[in-house]
Amino acid sequence: MIYFEDLEIGATKITGSRPVSAEEIIEFARQFDPQPFHLDPVAAEQSVFGGLVASGFHTAAMMMSLSVSHGVVDRGFLFSPGFDDMRWLKPVRPGDSLHVKSTCLEKSPSRSRPDIGSVRFRTEVLNQHGDVVMSVINIGIIKLRNSKPL
Amino acid sequence: MRYWEDFSVGEVLEYGSYEIKSEEMIGFSERYDPQPFHLSDAVTPDNPDGLLVASGWYTVGLMMRMLADNILSHTVSQGAPGMDRLRWTKPVKAGDRLHMRTTILEKRASRSRPTIGFLTNRHEVLDQDDIVVMWCEGVGMFGRRPEHEAAS
Repeated sequence: MIYFEDLEIGATKITGSRPVSAEEIIEFARQFDPQPFHLDPVAAEQSVFGGLVASGFHTAAMMMSLSVSHGVVDRGFLFSPGFDDMRWLKPVRPGDSLHVKSTCLEKSPSRSRPDIGSVRFRTEVLNQHGDVVMSVINIGIIKLRNSKPL
Repeated sequence: MRYWEDFSVGEVLEYGSYEIKSEEMIGFSERYDPQPFHLSDAVTPDNPDGLLVASGWYTVGLMMRMLADNILSHTVSQGAPGMDRLRWTKPVKAGDRLHMRTTILEKRASRSRPTIGFLTNRHEVLDQDDIVVMWCEGVGMFGRRPEHEAAS
């Protein structure tokens, strides 16, 4: 289990990769983001993207999946209050393969609870060419190994 | 069709309705966010009733769905560069019924692309008791009214 004390500012973790298929892009779009450029390969060719692209929130969900399956997000992580500065920098297309790079930016123990702390991470999602396709500042509330005295 | 010109700063849009079903919520967790508290019921200090909590990314997806069905489908949506800030403010559980409130905060024309304009929006997802379970702020890109079409 990863505790608050174990996270070092500046330390980076890199996950393995996962493929992105047209079927998965379309399936996610059907359920959550039914816009033509996420849903219909023919209509997508006429769009600003010039072809089918994954919903930005699908990329975010794949970031979460990679982070959980590769131990970037661990059982010591209790919940997240949210995120800041999510940027979709490049389209994610069928046939891409994505991985995650997570860097610990800041840590602050809770003022009101002795057993938890808040950590900010810069999370980048990269494709098979090493291009950053999405970046975001994720916030995690993480258990302390040793509760700090109040 | 609603163009960028048809939205005004301060305008509040209320729309959508989505009831959270247990199987669908768990299906999402299994695929994208398989943390134990998103997969099965468990009492913890942060979740005293022990009922399974939806992945925050599932709530994000449902927001996007309500936005796409009710607003974007009537516009020429050109996507978005990102999301400036998002907060999950209350756990979402099976049986909750969610709806949306969107406030237009700012608008500006694109200098480089005359056919689009930017809207800065605040989206709030509320539950059946009108409590905000998630909110976010970000910029969306919308098509402008073509010159040959008169204002409605």
